[in-house]
Amino acid sequence: MNGDSYQGAQVGANVQSQVDTLRHVISQTGGYSDGLTANQMYSPQGINQREEKQLEASVESLISRVAHLKNSLQSFIYKLENEYDRLPWPSVLDNFALLSGQLNTINKLLRNEKTPSYRNQVIIPLLLSPDRDEELAKLTEQRVPVFSHEIVPDHLRTKPDPEVEDQEKQLSAEAARIGQEVAQKQIQTLNKLCSSLLEKLNSPRDDRDAESSALRQNKQWFNPTDTNALVAAVGFGKGLSKCRPPNSVTPGHPGQAMMSGGPTLQQVTIAGAPGHQTGIGTSVAQQQPGQPGKMPSSIKTNIKSASASMHPYNR
Amino acid sequence: MEAPPVTVMPVTGGTINMMEYLLQGSVLDQSLDSLLHRLRGLCDNIEPESFADHELVYLLKGQQGNPFILRARRSLAHPTAPWHLRYLGQPEVGDKSRHALVRNCVDVAASHSLPDFLNEMGFRMDHEFVAKGHIFRKGVLKVVVSKLSRVLVPGNTDNTEPLSLSYLVELSVLAPAGQDTVSEDMRNFAEQLKPLVHLEKIDPKRLM
Repeated sequence: MNGDSYQGAQVGANVQSQVDTLRHVISQTGGYSDGLTANQMYSPQGINQREEKQLEASVESLISRVAHLKNSLQSFIYKLENEYDRLPWPSVLDNFALLSGQLNTINKLLRNEKTPSYRNQVIIPLLLSPDRDEELAKLTEQRVPVFSHEIVPDHLRTKPDPEVEDQEKQLSAEAARIGQEVAQKQIQTLNKLCSSLLEKLNSPRDDRDAESSALRQNKQWFNPTDTNALVAAVGFGKGLSKCRPPNSVTPGHPGQAMMSGGPTLQQVTIAGAPGHQTGIGTSVAQQQPGQPGKMPSSIKTNIKSASASMHPYNR
Repeated sequence: MEAPPVTVMPVTGGTINMMEYLLQGSVLDQSLDSLLHRLRGLCDNIEPESFADHELVYLLKGQQGNPFILRARRSLAHPTAPWHLRYLGQPEVGDKSRHALVRNCVDVAASHSLPDFLNEMGFRMDHEFVAKGHIFRKGVLKVVVSKLSRVLVPGNTDNTEPLSLSYLVELSVLAPAGQDTVSEDMRNFAEQLKPLVHLEKIDPKRLM
């Protein structure tokens, strides 16, 4: 769609400039030529009044449509160039939709029964001039300043470019070269490919979506148990070996007596956290399953030694 | 009775009165690449840093009260880099309006004699582990994705065993006390990591 509409749009703009040019030239030359009126310029003599009017009206409406297209193209290009950093994708799509809609209306207009066939109209440049024509430049927004020999063949061209023509010739030559049967076969293969591709594209998208979402839901990204284990490990060393070597990374203290029997970090942090009775209960139960509620031995020793030191004082 | 050697009062005043806002989660090993990929997209566009650290947790026990805990970290990848000493306060869960765990946090760089010094002060090592992983940043947000390993032979960081089949994921921000608005940003960021990782405020006391 992207390439299509853009190309189409270019063609549209081109048509617009051509039409502008022509109208201008026609109106100008109309004055100079002997007795030829503007209408007679682009309608061969002998066309009756009704058809002339129709032609006039259709050209008029075509011009206005093309002008609309040109305006929206301009604004879109402006946006792309100046607001590309904050242009949301949906609005880009909107712009494309607008352009393709406008191109569609132009196509419809051209195919309309009431529109006379432009193909049958003949346009003849009557006056070529190498001088700059301000009026023409203004009409074509400075795109065509001169209506000269150099420019006219390009603007009034009804055939494709020479290169394109060459390519077309090559293609038709090739088409003529391969036999009828081979061509039939190729057409069939292409049709088959296209239909299978269409089928794939049209196959219910919901199916795939449901499948992938189910996959996503089934797939486990994380494990809450692991989360807890890891958090407990960094928090208070749960699950990490309680190593208290005299010289693990600290050589120079080989004979250091370690505090043995003291509560580990896990135990003390629990005891020091007020308001977490359940925590204390469970952890004590875990450590001393057979003696619920019994004080840890180290604390007992502390009490004993304290009372021992107090004893002489009391006496 | 002599006063306890060290108080557990939070350090106040000056630039060191910083709080760490924390969210935690984990990701399975096989989903790690997806997570890293997403983080690379979400975070600041700088090459993510990898690290391999050895953390030693030291305790100083007084006669009463909580022991004083210090965490010493050294880089295994850069042995000449200074050690990193960190104090973390008791985590506060707070109410529902605050989306992250908050704890007092003091960070200092230290020389290589830090273990000796702590030992001389009476600190004793409680446990150690090795963390290897990646750091990402997005403004003030810091995301650490790391593999925790236990050290099998004390002090020998070459001989380790992974703690689980998952990577720990921590999202943290250092901010002055009372700036609870950062937790809002953290929650928004955490939302973007779902369903790969569910970052939550996990009360460690709940896990004991």
